[in-house]
This record gives sequence, C-alpha cells and structure tokens, in this order.
Amino acid sequence: MGFFHRHRGLTPYLLLAPGLLWLGTFFLVPLGFLGYQSLQSGSIDFGYAFTWSWGNYWHAIRDYHGHFIRSFEYAAIATLIALVVSYPVAYWIAFHGGRWKNLLLLGIVAPFFVTYLIRTLAWETILADHGLVVNTLRHLHLLGVLGTNGRILNTATAVVAGITYNFLPFMALPLYVSLEQIDARLIEAAEDLYASRVQAFLRVTFPLSLPGVVAGTLITFIPAAGDFINAQLLGSPQNHMIGNVIQSKFLELTDYPAAAAMSIVLMASIVIMVLIYARAVGTEKLTG
Amino acid sequence: MTDQLTRRQLLERAAVGGAAISFPGILAACGGSSSKSSSSSSSQKLAKTLHFSNWTYYIDTNDKTHRHPSLDSFKQKTGVTVDYTEDINDNASFFGKIQAQLRRGQSIGRDIIVMTDNSRYPSLLVRKKWVEKLDKSAIPNIKNLVPVQQHPAWDPDREYSLPWQSGITGIAFNDKLSDPVLSMDDLLGNPKLKGKITLLNEMGDCLSLVMLSNGDDPAKVTDATFDRAMATIKKAVDSGQVRAFTGNDYGPPLAKGDLSAAMSWSGDIPQLGNKHIHWNLPKDGGDTWTDNMLIPTGGDVYTASVYMNYVYDPKVMGLMEAGDPKRNITGIYYIPPVDGAKAAALAINPEVANNPLIFPTPEMLDNVHLFDPEALNNPKYLTEWQNLISA
Amino acid sequence: MSAVAVRAGRPRRSVLATVWAFVKRYALAVYSLLFFAYLMLPIAIVIVFSFNNPTGRFNYVWQGFTLDNWRYWDGVPGIRSALVLSLEVALIASVIATALGTMIALALVRYRFHGRGTTNILIFLPLSTPEIVLGASLLTLFLNLSFVTFGFYTILVAHVMFCISFAVITVKARLVGFDRHLEEAAMDLGANEWATFRKVTLPLIAPAIIASLLLCFAISIDDFVVTYFNAGTEVTFPLFVWGAARVGAPAQVNVIGTAIFMVALVLMLANVLIQWRREEAAA
Repeated sequence: MGFFHRHRGLTPYLLLAPGLLWLGTFFLVPLGFLGYQSLQSGSIDFGYAFTWSWGNYWHAIRDYHGHFIRSFEYAAIATLIALVVSYPVAYWIAFHGGRWKNLLLLGIVAPFFVTYLIRTLAWETILADHGLVVNTLRHLHLLGVLGTNGRILNTATAVVAGITYNFLPFMALPLYVSLEQIDARLIEAAEDLYASRVQAFLRVTFPLSLPGVVAGTLITFIPAAGDFINAQLLGSPQNHMIGNVIQSKFLELTDYPAAAAMSIVLMASIVIMVLIYARAVGTEKLTG
Repeated sequence: MTDQLTRRQLLERAAVGGAAISFPGILAACGGSSSKSSSSSSSQKLAKTLHFSNWTYYIDTNDKTHRHPSLDSFKQKTGVTVDYTEDINDNASFFGKIQAQLRRGQSIGRDIIVMTDNSRYPSLLVRKKWVEKLDKSAIPNIKNLVPVQQHPAWDPDREYSLPWQSGITGIAFNDKLSDPVLSMDDLLGNPKLKGKITLLNEMGDCLSLVMLSNGDDPAKVTDATFDRAMATIKKAVDSGQVRAFTGNDYGPPLAKGDLSAAMSWSGDIPQLGNKHIHWNLPKDGGDTWTDNMLIPTGGDVYTASVYMNYVYDPKVMGLMEAGDPKRNITGIYYIPPVDGAKAAALAINPEVANNPLIFPTPEMLDNVHLFDPEALNNPKYLTEWQNLISA
Repeated sequence: MSAVAVRAGRPRRSVLATVWAFVKRYALAVYSLLFFAYLMLPIAIVIVFSFNNPTGRFNYVWQGFTLDNWRYWDGVPGIRSALVLSLEVALIASVIATALGTMIALALVRYRFHGRGTTNILIFLPLSTPEIVLGASLLTLFLNLSFVTFGFYTILVAHVMFCISFAVITVKARLVGFDRHLEEAAMDLGANEWATFRKVTLPLIAPAIIASLLLCFAISIDDFVVTYFNAGTEVTFPLFVWGAARVGAPAQVNVIGTAIFMVALVLMLANVLIQWRREEAAA
C-alpha cells in the first residue's frame, strides 16, 4: 500500500490504464486502420496497396448515396415512431407506476432477452403473406396503404417495423429515466395556476423530459442507421441499407478499401447529423 | 459384400499408413499454425475427427434423429468421427468467412469444404494454393469418377478437388399459388407473379438462365451479352417483380407460400417434400454446375482423402443419393458424380432412381449449359452483379 | 389525480359520459397494456413454436404439440457447441469488462486528473458507433496483423471492447450517489485504503457490479454484427441462428431462445423482488 500512498497522484491513471488501453487498442486503433484501409486500392487476387486512393470515398458516395439516404430515412422514421409510441408508456410508468415501476420496466426490457435474430425471425412469421396480420389488414383495406403488391414482408414497411420494434427499449428507457426525475409538484403547481392537464403537459412535463427525448432519439437512430439484419431478413433488394452493402463488400466481395471508405462516410455522416441535432436542441439538453 | 470389401480396403490402407513414417501432419490438422502445412503424402495416419463443411441438406439425413447414416457408417468403418457443419449457404459469404485466415496460410479448422464451380472460388483457391493436393494413393475409387468430370478447366488433373454433387438450375413453382412457370420470360414478366418470385444470388446461375432466355450463350460471355442480361434482371427488380435474391434460403418462403415461384436448384425440390412444388428446366435451357470437395490449407489431407474414397464407392454414393423413406432418411437428391451410383440407388429406392432430377435424361442434359469461367473472375462483372443484388 | 367531480342531487350521468370518463382515466393504462402486448407478440410466437412438431424442415405452420424439441434441444448438429461458445465468451467477457469498467468508474468519480473529458468521450464513443463500423474496423485491424487467428480470442476481444462502456456507466451511476462518509468513517477507525475498499466500498457497490456483470453478459450473448465480422469459422449462438434461418430455423432454435429468455426473466424478477423487499424493509 505504501506504493499507492507515495504515488497518490498515479492512482487514477493506474485505474484507468487497463480499460482505456483496451478501448484504445481495440476501438481507436481499428478506426485508424479503417481509415488507412480506405485509402488503399487493390483486390484479393493481387493484394492491397496504400495509394492515397481518395477516389474510394467519391465512389462510395456516388455509387451508394441511395443506400445512405435510405438508411437514414428508415432510421429516422423508426426513431420517430418509437418516440411517439413509447412516450405515453414511459409517462404512464413514471407517473402512475407506483410500486410496480420496476416490474413494468422489466416488462419493457424482458422481450429483448430473446436473441435479436430470433425476434426478427418471429416477425417473418407474423408478417407472412397469408398470415393473420396481413389477412386482417387486407380485410380492413389497409393493405394497399401499408403494403406493396399485397404483402408486407419484404417491403420497406416490414423493415421499418422491424427496426422500430428492435430498438424500442433504447427509446423507452431514457424517456422513462428523465420523466421519472420530474418533480410531480411542478405539475401540481402548474395546475394550481389554472393550467389544464394538456397545458401542464406541454409546458412543464414535456420540456423537462427533453433530455430523455434527445438521449433516446440518439441511441435509437445511430445504431438503426447502421443496421442490416432487418433489411436482410424482412426486406427486398430495394430496401437494402448501407449496412448490407458494407457487409457484402467486406465479407463477400473482399473489396476492403471500398468497404472501409463507406464505413467512414457512414460514421462521418452520423457525427455531422448528431452535431447539427445537438446544436438545434441546445447542448444543455444533451447533458441534461 | 461390397461393404466388407470397402472396410478391408480402408483397413489395409490404415495399416500401411500406420506402418509408414508419420509426420506431424497431425499438427497441420490441428489448425492455428501460421505456416503452411506439411505436404500431403508424408502423413498416412487417420485423424480422430474429420471437419467437414458443407451446404445445407446436402447429405443423407434421418429426419427424426438428424443423424447422417453415411457418416455414421464411415465412423464404424474407420473410427473417424465426422464433425459435419452445414455452414455454407452461398459461395460468396462462406468465402468471406474463411478468406482472412487462408490469406495468411492459416488453417480454418476444416478438412473438407465444398464450393461450386460456377462461382470464382474453386479456381481462386487453387490458383492461390489455398487448398491442399489430394492424396490420390488413398483414393483408389477415383476410378469411378464419371468421365465428363475428370478434367475441369480449373483443375485439369483433379489434383485438388473431387466433385461432391452436380446440379441443375431451373425454376420451381407452387401449383397452389400459380400456373406452371416454365420459362424465364414468364418468371420475370408475368404480372401475376409480381413480388412473389426470387432469383438466385449466384451470378453464374442467374445470368446463365437469363442469357439463355435472351438468346445468348452463357458459355461465352461478352460485355454486350452481360449488359443485356443485367438489364433484363434490373427491369424485373425495379418493377418489384423480384422479391429477393437468395442462396439456399428460398426454401422457407417457398414452403410458406410467400413465394409462388423461385429460381432454384434441382435437388432442393424433392427435399422439400411438398407435393405442390414442382421444378422444371426453363424452356430456353438451364445451367449445370458441380460442387467440389476441396481440402483447405491446414486440412488433414490423408483423412480427407480416405473420406473421399469412401463416398466414391458406388454403393455408398447410391445410399446417400437415394435415402430411404421407410427409415425416414432423406437423400441428397442431386446428381452424383460416381459411376454405378444409379444402379445402387435403384436397389434401395426405385422411385428416386427414376427421378429425372437426380439422374437426368439425355434430353435434359442437352439443354443445360456451363457458365463462362472467365466471366466469373471479371471484377467489373462481379461488382456490377453485387450492386444489382443489393439494389 | 383528480377524481371526476360528483355533484350531489343530479341524476346519473349518461352511459356515454361514464364510458368517456372511464376511457380518459384509463386510456394511458390501456394503451400501455396494448404496448406490452405488442412487445410480447414475437416472443409469444417464439415460445409457441418451440413446441411445434413440424413435418419436414420448416417451422412456420403449427402442426402439433410436442415436447421433443425441448427434450432433444441439442438434436440439431452444431447448436450445442454454438451455445457453449456463446456462454463461455459471455462469461469471460463480462468479468473482464466489469473489472476494467469498475476501475475506470472509480477513477472518474473519485479522482481529479487531466484528461477526464477525453476519457468520458472515449467511453461514450463506442456506444454511439454503429455496430457495423465497430465490427468492420476490428476486422480491418485483425486482417492487418498477420499473427492473428480468427476464432475464440478475436470474439472475446471484441466483446470486452464493446462491453466496457456499459460497465462504466452502470458502476458509475452507483458510485456517484455513494456516501463517502462511510469510507471516511472506516478510515478514521484505522483501516487502510485497501481494507476500506474491500470491506466498505466493494460491498456497497456490489449491486452495481452485479448489474454490470448481468448487463455485459446479456449484451455479449446477444451480439451478432460485431461477432459476425470477427469470428472466422467459429459459430456463436446468434451466428448459428443466422445460418439456420437461411434454410428454415429448426424448432430447437426457439427452444434455446426461450430458455435464455426464461433464465434472464427469472433473474430480473428476483432482482425486482429483492428490491421490493428492501423498500418495504426501509419503509
């Protein structure tokens, strides 16, 4: 222990070192390699060489901008739907949950203990062309609106529905956390001042829950944008996201430079979008 | 009986092998070494386990117990347990899994893998020496290889590979959901099939059939014929006619009724066991391909070769082909490369032996074509194809 | 919550008004229950089809009840080794990640040092990176280091990497609300730092450490994308499901999915019950 007494200033660094070293080596350095790889050119047959091949970035954007845009679209729509759908539930649990709060939260999280892939495959069964859901929608004449060519599976709708479902807890939990922290007396005070329930919500509750909204939208949108599993299992070639392309370029075509460039463009786009978003909502809300 | 003969043959071989000097070729079989494995002929000792990666539903299977009778009897004869993994769904994604290690000369933990010759991978693997030479001294049954398979362009002396099965690509349809779909034009153009069909994601298969329906020759691909075929397919994709591009995975949706028709491989359909699903060669012709057994770097050459010898016994191949409905065994139902397999299969399961999908008629064989192997290695074509199937 | 005003002497309200009042009062609750039903729908399908007795290889249409899938859960070749691998990786990864994460959390909360902001960013970054970028970049690293063999260790390294951030957040949350006075009291009574840590701090943050272990375990056992890129030919359970899905996932996949779900559910319920007991004891 004498060592630690004498080197008291060192203690934090010693504590940090192993973990940060791991992250540095297996998170930061790989990103560096990714950048390095993105400027290479070549193929598996003849090898890869570093050639400052900025063209890879240009090709990534030129050839696949459709996929990028589609990915962000799907992710944004899914995030929005997740927000609208889970906000009331988060509100309910936070304000009316009482002693059942933990149990109800468990109810939200529990379904996601089943492996991601198995859950998504279940949707393949649920949305089957001759299954209950599609037949019901057909009778309600909603199939034309929601589906394409009389089906839901292998359409954009199915992909977005899958993404929404799979990322719901990422939205619901941060919402709950910030709603739960709101002091109920503030709402009472608003009502004492003759605000209606709706007004109290709009002018007190919702603004106070914004940090949760921001956090939830971010941690839903970002992973959703890079997802490829929902598109692969529930979509058709026209619904493929940038994740699908990156995956096939890396593993099947072994076109590493192009794939690396695409990954970096994806990351950069997300960072830019997040910064714009943070600026728009005000950074205080971000750190809430 | 022949069983005894085979067992005796193998036992003789094992005895000879045991008496011979055995190298640490076993080390190579363990995998993980960063250097290339020692040459094949120096080790003639059977390993305890054979690691075999194959496509799904590509071996005789007992539907109830999920066991593979041919592998079980291999174990009985030789004592070698076969660790059989069905992890190949399509050539490209399997290659994706293994290429990083092969590039470094590292073993991938497999002794036998199976890849299709109408993809670029078998020729790539041989070219880059990422596969080991067979130990032909352990494969006397190689004499049973059908003549047409003896000298493929990419492995002229069969030094690195032996066919596992061949197949034909055609069109399957569900008669409950659609009228017979007998041509590519119908498959790609019939509005009643919109959104209810899939195509194969293998460039060789898909382009062959489309080129034939365009009147072009898939054995000699030119930029013009390639572009024409791609345009035809793209039109169908953009119009929503094509629901997805699949590997082996068209099976579930076809069975579920999500698909009315699909470009599919001949043997899959008998395996589905669904009386409503039929398979045909397209009117303009189909393509044929062969899946080949290869020994990746670091694989145990001797044990793999012994296994190959075992399956090249016509009786064994016949058994694997035909299955046995009485004992709930589903066979492979593809086209075996072994002379005499048909006769053996006839003895066990006459219905299967007379199924033209498994033992094609001469007329069918006239109407199938091979895809141009040069085109398979053309990077421009490959990238364009990948873009197409990922829309 | 304000009750519906009752005015004495008035006749009964119309049925419609009663229903509307009921709806307004319970709308949220009903909605929430529908929400839970929606969440559970796929899970119900998974569980139900684990008992299906399909003829042939496809498990899409209900054909009859059977316990065989449960009895012979490892009847499908490869499923047992995939599950074992997943469990091994999850166990080891969660321990390592929690250990590393706890140390980082301690440093962040207890000490002042240069680079605290940078550390926070470094912890936060992996969480805000799409998994595909995490997986692909790690693959790129391994591809460029010729001595690396893809397999158990590459999977393990990847899993620890993305679990550390979760561990830090979980433990940090508990540390922030921690009452230092207890430690100071221990040290006043003569305990040195290590003894204090062992006997006071550690037991008090134990719930957070356990939570972190469980969270990391859950995340690791479910991971697909990063593993897919870095597993080589090894197969974890999610990778097995991906492969099996292509040709019709056998019912045993549902069985194991259900089993994992049940175990996790029981653990979380136990946690909730323990917390209830604590709250009641404290009240």
